[in-house]
Amino acid sequence: MHQLDSARFAWLFLPLVCASGLLAQTPAKPAGDIEGHPNLNGIWQAVNEANWNLEPHAAEASPVVAVGALGAAPAGLGVVTEGKIPYKPEALKQRDQNYAKRIELDPEVKCYLPGVPRATYMPYPFQIVQSGKFIFIGYEYANATRTIYMDNPGEAPVDSWMGQSVGHWEGRTLVVDVTSLNDQTWFDRAGNFHSDKLHVIERYTPSGRDVIQYEATIEDPNTFVRPWKISMPLYRRLDKNMQLLEFKCVEMVEELLYGKYRKKPAN
Amino acid sequence: MKLVGLLVACIISVHLVAQTPASAPKSAGTAASSGGRDLTGIWDTATVTPMERPKDLAGKAYFTPAEAEAYEKQLAIENDRDRRGKPGADDVARAYNEAWWDRGTKVVPSLRTSLIVDPADGRIPPLTPAARAAAQKRAAALQAPPNGPEDRGIQERCIVGVNVGPPIIPTVYNNNFQIFQSGNTVVVFSEMIHDYRVIPTDGSKHIPSNIRLWMGDSRGHWEGNTLVVDTTNFNGKTHFRGADENLHVIERFTRVKPDQILYQFHIEDPTAFERPWGGEFTFNKAKGLIYEYACHEGNYGLSGLLSAARAEEQKAAHKSEDQKH
Repeated sequence: MHQLDSARFAWLFLPLVCASGLLAQTPAKPAGDIEGHPNLNGIWQAVNEANWNLEPHAAEASPVVAVGALGAAPAGLGVVTEGKIPYKPEALKQRDQNYAKRIELDPEVKCYLPGVPRATYMPYPFQIVQSGKFIFIGYEYANATRTIYMDNPGEAPVDSWMGQSVGHWEGRTLVVDVTSLNDQTWFDRAGNFHSDKLHVIERYTPSGRDVIQYEATIEDPNTFVRPWKISMPLYRRLDKNMQLLEFKCVEMVEELLYGKYRKKPAN
Repeated sequence: MKLVGLLVACIISVHLVAQTPASAPKSAGTAASSGGRDLTGIWDTATVTPMERPKDLAGKAYFTPAEAEAYEKQLAIENDRDRRGKPGADDVARAYNEAWWDRGTKVVPSLRTSLIVDPADGRIPPLTPAARAAAQKRAAALQAPPNGPEDRGIQERCIVGVNVGPPIIPTVYNNNFQIFQSGNTVVVFSEMIHDYRVIPTDGSKHIPSNIRLWMGDSRGHWEGNTLVVDTTNFNGKTHFRGADENLHVIERFTRVKPDQILYQFHIEDPTAFERPWGGEFTFNKAKGLIYEYACHEGNYGLSGLLSAARAEEQKAAHKSEDQKH
């Protein structure tokens, strides 16, 4: 961080948010507003099949024979509002190739950071902590994180896996502009992908106490003929004592990534 | 930071061992001008004060201001990686120049000569015989060519940052943290490998003891304006200073000034240490933002270490074959 400093961040004094709000651990209490804005604090999770494929799809066998039904993909009606993703013809071919080689190419297989919006609808919970001029989102998967800056710090110095998120409120909706994303992440397990021209605009709108309506507009002129949208509800995890636990999957993929370099037989 | 991250991952384990002591003294004490219960902000945990009191400072708990200044100057010279050495190993050891390092330049404001305040000698108590044997075995594995990834440190494997704890400790590179608070939740987020702890302060209990975590399970409560965090349920694989899965950490975060947090930690692990111990240091307001430290995604270092070990073995095998013929 020290190398990227700039005096432009001198405003970083943070007032404490005294939220009389609802806690993830006590979901029975209704959410009170925080400084006049909706209180999105809590642990949330998507419950749909976007993780396997954003587009409408039938159920499908596992690409790995050994795991049988464990690795099969459940069917889903899709979350793309216009049905299919409006790919450019070349990009569509790339998507199909990605799909064919998904076991080799899907960054999730290697426990890589998921990017945005994929982090939102993976089958793991995530926690929102609304802290003054910063909104923290911690994802259980790979301990991925995002900080949403409610004061725009200016252009990110470098592209990254999770991008730079800048937020503002439009009425009851938290709008997050996500830029500086790299081209290494996918949208799902079906090979849907993007370039480093990706720009995502997310909208988080509370709909009742325990539901956030989530929408993401995807723009990438290198890959798509026009912007397109996904839309889905996010649900509060109401489970007793709910909390995030660790899913530090790096250790779980070491054999996959480094097994070929292992000494055989070991000393 | 991701570019920097991987390259440095390899040197950290080497250099953490090489803390450079010196000498000097004086009094201290932390004036508590209350910052209330607001710990939010971006914090820099770097300091040049060593974890343990250097042996040549035995019996001396504090520097005088003049001694502290001399100590800081001496370290700045000794640590300067822009100073070129003689050609060869000495110069290679400085291959990462100052731009890569983030050791801090100041001793702690209390002018203590060690981070450890308990026991009074400023030294970590001895390990139990079993913990010592395990630590020696790990150290030996680190000296030998690795059989597999598990023979290398957690930082090189991009599993947990060496400094993120708990307890948080100052390190030679990337000491940046951000604290978020809302309602009964405090988040301690480390730039290093984007590790974070969500700490509930709602009186809830620890998770069942059979669930073991790399960073443990943290529960907080407020004592006045001090956040007290109790962490258990460690998996024992971070080996903090020789600790095992029975590690129990109690941390205290107090905002003593608008731009300072006093951080105190207490360590108990009866199967690893012969007695409890603890220390304290100061977090200072950082100047910049936190950036993504995508460590695992660019971890070519670990493949390089392992494949080099195998290549060396092959070379040695061929050589001994040749000698037979």
